[in-house]
Amino acid sequence: MATTTAAVTLTSDLLSDNMSVTASTTCMKAGTTADGLDQMEYGYVDLVTGDEFDLIGATPTASKASKLYLKNHSTDETYFISIVQNAQAIGKLYGGDWMFIPADFHDAAGDIMITANGGTNKICYALFHEGITLVAS
Amino acid sequence: MATTTATITINSTDLLTDELSLTSTATLTTAGTSTGVTQTSGLARKTTLAASAAAIQANVLYRAGDYTADKANKVYIKNTSTTAAEFFTVHVDQEELGRLYAGDWMFMPWNATSGTKALFTVTIAATWAAGDTWEFDGVTLVAANATVNDITAQIDALNYPNWTTTYASGATIIFTARYASSASEVVYATADGTLDTAGNGTANISGAAAGSKSESDITIRPSVHTAMTYETLLINE
Repeated sequence: MATTTAAVTLTSDLLSDNMSVTASTTCMKAGTTADGLDQMEYGYVDLVTGDEFDLIGATPTASKASKLYLKNHSTDETYFISIVQNAQAIGKLYGGDWMFIPADFHDAAGDIMITANGGTNKICYALFHEGITLVAS
Repeated sequence: MATTTATITINSTDLLTDELSLTSTATLTTAGTSTGVTQTSGLARKTTLAASAAAIQANVLYRAGDYTADKANKVYIKNTSTTAAEFFTVHVDQEELGRLYAGDWMFMPWNATSGTKALFTVTIAATWAAGDTWEFDGVTLVAANATVNDITAQIDALNYPNWTTTYASGATIIFTARYASSASEVVYATADGTLDTAGNGTANISGAAAGSKSESDITIRPSVHTAMTYETLLINE
């Protein structure tokens, strides 16, 4: 099986004591311990202000353990992308920010949509999944 | 300035024919600036447990109304379970983001868009007497004297479980709901307070408006009713 690990470290001095949180997970298929996520999509796009992208072109299998990594590589801190799923605003990734979330893709409307603001945002993304349904041509 | 960093590392030696190694560090700053974020919930840990599968409830992690909307907030959640089939389903408002299986974690931006809060104005008027009472939200005011301005100040000094008050002077006071609520909520009226006065004192409610529901509360729902534990951290402006 493929073994993909995702680790995070959060550190801060904003409390009176230093804060450090670490976590690591091996990205497994839903509900298993023996079979890792074995497929991925990876992309890097320039996103012009105002354009809304449906980030994932095909529909990954719903209700699985897919993971989505998304980073805004813009170096201008005033640039950001808005993240929307099925008309639900999730948040904004400013220049340099990244996110890593489980992605359910419960139906076609559950796609992740991103919109650039401030200027041309440079977006990198990776989706780790168990399979996709290709869109008919 | 506080410095908060978030580093992700994704590695795999066998997912692709070439090794995958990705590392990214973000310094968390306030929206549109290079100034570091200054507030956090601190790391929290909670175990969910219900009597049966039918009794499983979603847990509210963060209420949007408690935070400033459209900022560079970040949320971290981890499922500490070691049982592979156990997962938490993460929602933002009614939208299902995905499932955090055993050991999985997530880190995402959060815009904390809230709804509007219900509010109304109470006016203390006419003839009151010391000992008269007005009860609202399970809290009872007992008038210390007959002066309506003093009684209004007394109302402001009480703590209400579901409401906050705004009062400057005079005999009127504004009640505001602590949380945004459903637009179908009733508009509060005078009858929602219980008045007991020896004279003809009044506590009329006017200017009432219903709220609208919050639009991005974060909730998680355990997949089983037996004990499951999650950890969470909010970094916000």
